[in-house]
Amino acid sequence: MDRRQFLFGLSSAALSQLEAGTHHAAKADACIFLAMLGGVSQIDTFDPKPKLTELNGKIMDWSKEKKTDQPNLFAKPRKFVASPFQFQKYGKCGREVSELLPETARWVDELAICRSVQSDNGNHPAAVFQMNTGFIIPGNPSVGAWVTYGLGTANKNLPSFVAMPDYRSIPFSGAQQWGSGYLPAEYQGTVLRAGSEPIRDLVSPKDVPAGLLEAEREALRGMNGAFGVLRADNPELRARMDSYELAYRMQLEVPRVLSIDAEPAAVKEAYGLNDPVTASFGRRCLMARKLVEAGVRFVEIFTPSQSWDAHGDIKKNHEKNARETDKPIAALLADLKQRGMLERTLVVNMGEFGRTPDTPAEQETPGRDHNTRCQSMWFAGGGMKGGSMIGTTDEIGHKAVENVYHMHDVHATILHQMGLNDLRLTYYFGGRNRRLTDLGGRVIKELVA
Amino acid sequence: MRLCIIVVFSSVVFGQEPLLPLLKQQCGGCHTGAQAEGGLSMDSMEALRKGGKHGPALTPGAGGASLLVQHMTGEKTPRMPLGSPPVVAGMVEAVRAAIDSMPATPTVAKKDAHFEWLLRVPTAGALPPTNRAGWIKNPIDAFVLASLEKQGMTPSGEASRRTLLRRIYFDLVGVPPTPEETRAFEADQDPKAYDKAVDRLLADPRYGERWGRHWLDLVRYAESDGFAIDGERPTAWRYRDYVIRALNRDKPYNVFVQEQIAGDEYRGKNAAGAGDRLVALGFLRFAPWEADANSKKQLRQDLLNDITGTVGSVFLGITTGCAQCHDHKYDPIPQKDYYRLQAFFAGTAIADLPVAFDEVERPKEMKRRLRQHEDAAEAAEVELAGLREGLKKHYMALMKVGPADEGLKKFLGKLNTRNLFFLEQDLPLVKEPEWREPLKTYFAVRDGMQREVELARRFQASAYAVRDVAPPAAPEVPDTYVLSGGDLAARGEKVDAGFLTCVTGESKPAEIPFAGGSNGRRLALAEWITSEKNPLTARVMVNRLWQGHWGEGLVRTPSDFGKNGDAPSHPELLDWLAAEFVAKNWSLKAMHRLMLTSATYRQASVHPEQEQYAAKDPTNRMLWRMNWQRLDAEALRDSILAVSGRLNPTMGGPPVMFSVPDDIAQGFEFFKWFPSSDEEQRRRSVYLIQRRSVLLPMAETFDAPNLSTSCARRLTTIVAPQALTLLNGTLTRTEAGHLAERVAGTADPVGEAFWRVLGRAPTAAERAQGEKLAAQGTVGLASLGAVLFNLNEFLFVE
Repeated sequence: MDRRQFLFGLSSAALSQLEAGTHHAAKADACIFLAMLGGVSQIDTFDPKPKLTELNGKIMDWSKEKKTDQPNLFAKPRKFVASPFQFQKYGKCGREVSELLPETARWVDELAICRSVQSDNGNHPAAVFQMNTGFIIPGNPSVGAWVTYGLGTANKNLPSFVAMPDYRSIPFSGAQQWGSGYLPAEYQGTVLRAGSEPIRDLVSPKDVPAGLLEAEREALRGMNGAFGVLRADNPELRARMDSYELAYRMQLEVPRVLSIDAEPAAVKEAYGLNDPVTASFGRRCLMARKLVEAGVRFVEIFTPSQSWDAHGDIKKNHEKNARETDKPIAALLADLKQRGMLERTLVVNMGEFGRTPDTPAEQETPGRDHNTRCQSMWFAGGGMKGGSMIGTTDEIGHKAVENVYHMHDVHATILHQMGLNDLRLTYYFGGRNRRLTDLGGRVIKELVA
Repeated sequence: MRLCIIVVFSSVVFGQEPLLPLLKQQCGGCHTGAQAEGGLSMDSMEALRKGGKHGPALTPGAGGASLLVQHMTGEKTPRMPLGSPPVVAGMVEAVRAAIDSMPATPTVAKKDAHFEWLLRVPTAGALPPTNRAGWIKNPIDAFVLASLEKQGMTPSGEASRRTLLRRIYFDLVGVPPTPEETRAFEADQDPKAYDKAVDRLLADPRYGERWGRHWLDLVRYAESDGFAIDGERPTAWRYRDYVIRALNRDKPYNVFVQEQIAGDEYRGKNAAGAGDRLVALGFLRFAPWEADANSKKQLRQDLLNDITGTVGSVFLGITTGCAQCHDHKYDPIPQKDYYRLQAFFAGTAIADLPVAFDEVERPKEMKRRLRQHEDAAEAAEVELAGLREGLKKHYMALMKVGPADEGLKKFLGKLNTRNLFFLEQDLPLVKEPEWREPLKTYFAVRDGMQREVELARRFQASAYAVRDVAPPAAPEVPDTYVLSGGDLAARGEKVDAGFLTCVTGESKPAEIPFAGGSNGRRLALAEWITSEKNPLTARVMVNRLWQGHWGEGLVRTPSDFGKNGDAPSHPELLDWLAAEFVAKNWSLKAMHRLMLTSATYRQASVHPEQEQYAAKDPTNRMLWRMNWQRLDAEALRDSILAVSGRLNPTMGGPPVMFSVPDDIAQGFEFFKWFPSSDEEQRRRSVYLIQRRSVLLPMAETFDAPNLSTSCARRLTTIVAPQALTLLNGTLTRTEAGHLAERVAGTADPVGEAFWRVLGRAPTAAERAQGEKLAAQGTVGLASLGAVLFNLNEFLFVE
């Protein structure tokens, strides 16, 4: 109960459901989830496939692939596409990374890469739902909501779970991607936006003089207080009064935490805030660091919806998206490391699925289509083994063949690092105990330090 | 080490000391004390015999059949110890052997008392005797009082008249009484004044709006598909209006249910209401719908699964959905029953049916609006074609290409499908200043056209419904198979449509009443569900009504009456109410009246013995007082608009588009957001569009359902963003301003503001604080309004 006093919010339902707390010692206190919407090509980033150079332009025989989740895509002849990007070895671990991500590549010794993550659905909306909630259908709580439900919050003045979509194109189904599903609303992600009002309704109305606002507060405290005296047994009245005090504190604290102006010029430059290409993602990466520093548990940053969706032109698309994100991500890792925060902050980078090694034969400019059978994702910090890698795909990078993992396993790993056991983190709804990982995931042990 | 443990195990005998400490050591981390996981404690032999929520941990004489062993081996999931390596080798064997050696207790075929009760048709039992008969106003009170007296408790006193009036207003119509109504009621000397007020509100059309919203929660009502495209369901609103009308007319619940499951197969030849009965079928279609799904077969199966689960939980209070992949883990629902239930819908296909507008739906107005928007769309189309031609020429001139150029074709294609952001992403050249303005104009006109097209669709005389693909239209209704693990590819046994075996006691196929244009299966199901012999339907619905008035049902898991649900606090009362409901021809209003006029409902929310009672019964299961309830999102919003005097009372019609921030409005790829006029936006919340990907932010903050699955009970959270919304949000500030204007001209503005918002005069202290604010003029009065909207007293109904 004491612990819940610190919560961002409070509900009687939640109180009876769970005493917030870890199941085992946590390796990470916070998680920054970088959602690369659209699906990044593994073949052009962390999973080089020299064989494709040899096969480039040849027609692929898909007739043996009986069970494809995208029958339309494979109804016509398709040809192999070699990666247009050069690979080079980086770091002490000698990991091969493509020239697409020169900045992130310098941090490979901090990355724990899994090249064999599979998912269940090759459609963006369903796949994005799975990445964020474990399920391909709407209505389920997001990873951040589960974490907050499990751990409560670690700060007094800020939400515990923050989502930062790119408002040029927000994720499918909008707020449901950081929603609390059937969990109480207090666990939903709070959207932080760029600009003068980072949280909806954070700023007091401008046309009310400051003195009057103070008088409002005083009157509200006084009247609520008097009303509560005779009804002291209703804890919700007290909780609501507390929530106002928290709101007032947020009004002071949030702008302070999020103010980027005061950051040194070198930091702004490192995150790419001075370049319009990197500014959007960079600003949000910098905000993520500041939020985590201030005790926010879970931050999710989204690229624009479908931004990495390189059907038409793999080279052009991925170059554009890499330019927008690579430098900010490297800056985030560097910043966390330099501040000694990386050790206790789990950074996750992934998309909703990987991409195919081939493109429709009729297509002039080669692209890559959706591929649920493998993607390369990485973790950094938060008790993961830097420089490690697991998972092997076949020689054309079409599917994971060794040490195959599933999206549920990524989620189980995130929970595990944060001190939660995915099997035990349950919520009773609709007749049964629900989980983020449904019937349970496997922690990707090979990558855990 | 390991060997040593085996040695220890081999010598254990259950009931003697050595094993228990080891079990405690291995399992006691979770399974100990009063808060043991799953209710299973390893603290004593007694505790093990008693077991947890899944039953006794051990069956004497049968180690292999004991849950303790089965969970340790992983035969039953989850394998124990949870999330840790298996127990050391030898321990399982030792435990099994030890249990085997225990003398077996003779097993009697165990009857499950809960289902014995639940599956028996409820009857109105005799009223229990009580000591304080004077307190009793109707039979509800007899049951409540009897159980209180058994505990040595007494009910609390009657709430004040003001409190009672506010309570029934919020409960029945979702807005507070006006000061005039409150004053009149307080002054009314008629002993029947309260009953008359209840009757008046039950006859008020706002009752349908308030209770319609509860029903819409339950049926996962939404006006869009969800998923990526989240396409609008432009005529779904007719279902919403159907519900509101049905409730206002007190349509018997059995008919209400039949129409929603099988309105097209309705037996009666009653032409009046035929349209309504097709509109009602929308119930079967409100599942999320992945319009661009890769597998249409899977899409159909997903819809069937949704219907099977929703029908079970909404009407029967049985979590049938749990039996999709395997037999129900807790309730007597074999997996086969799930698919037998599903088979009733095997012939059902989605369909938009032409249904003329009913007189109350204002057909002329609908037709006029349809024409208006169609014409406007046409005009915009012409304009757009001109602009498009201009852009085409511009492109050709700039790129120096002819009309047959591939790049040009692509460019034109993108003009149709993409928004400016995507266009810029695809074609960086359009970022050049000379492109910017023409493109902006082009997209503005295109959006305008889209807006008119979208608006026109909402006025079509069409019902968002289903029809059966059955003989003679199709050779036969598709077969239904048990799907192992719920997987379409894993077809098992073929099944016929049939009712739940646990209810009927038999598993023979249902008799299908007729075959005509439709196949009659759904009617068979609807008639079975609404049969007086169905033990579940009436109980489930009266419990929902109870929840609507008390905040909690007699069964607190209103869509799960099964074993894992909450056991009823007053089973005899529930049965009595269910029987009465059927006897009153399934009249919802009769049940409301009964509940609201009971002394139980009229209790105060405080009790003289509060502390002692709360210690004994902290959640008020015994109903020794009235529960507090926080206004839900809709009632809160509607009430603010009502007291500011700006609530637009227009009923029915296409959804209202509330305003959202520009960047949200622009951020969607597949649709645009076109806010309705300010006047429209001040209508009741039930008429705001229910778009799955764009919830009203204020409603989302105040625990509105997510629209994807059936919501049987709103949660009540208290979080800081709610405070921010109510302190700084546009709704509060705008309406507080209007409230200020409304009261400014009166003799006592501060007093009048209190009366409007809280239905009472301010106390001396409140007046002092109010006057201090009001001294700042109208802006100060507006501040007072904002304060009043934020008060606990305003948000919590006593």
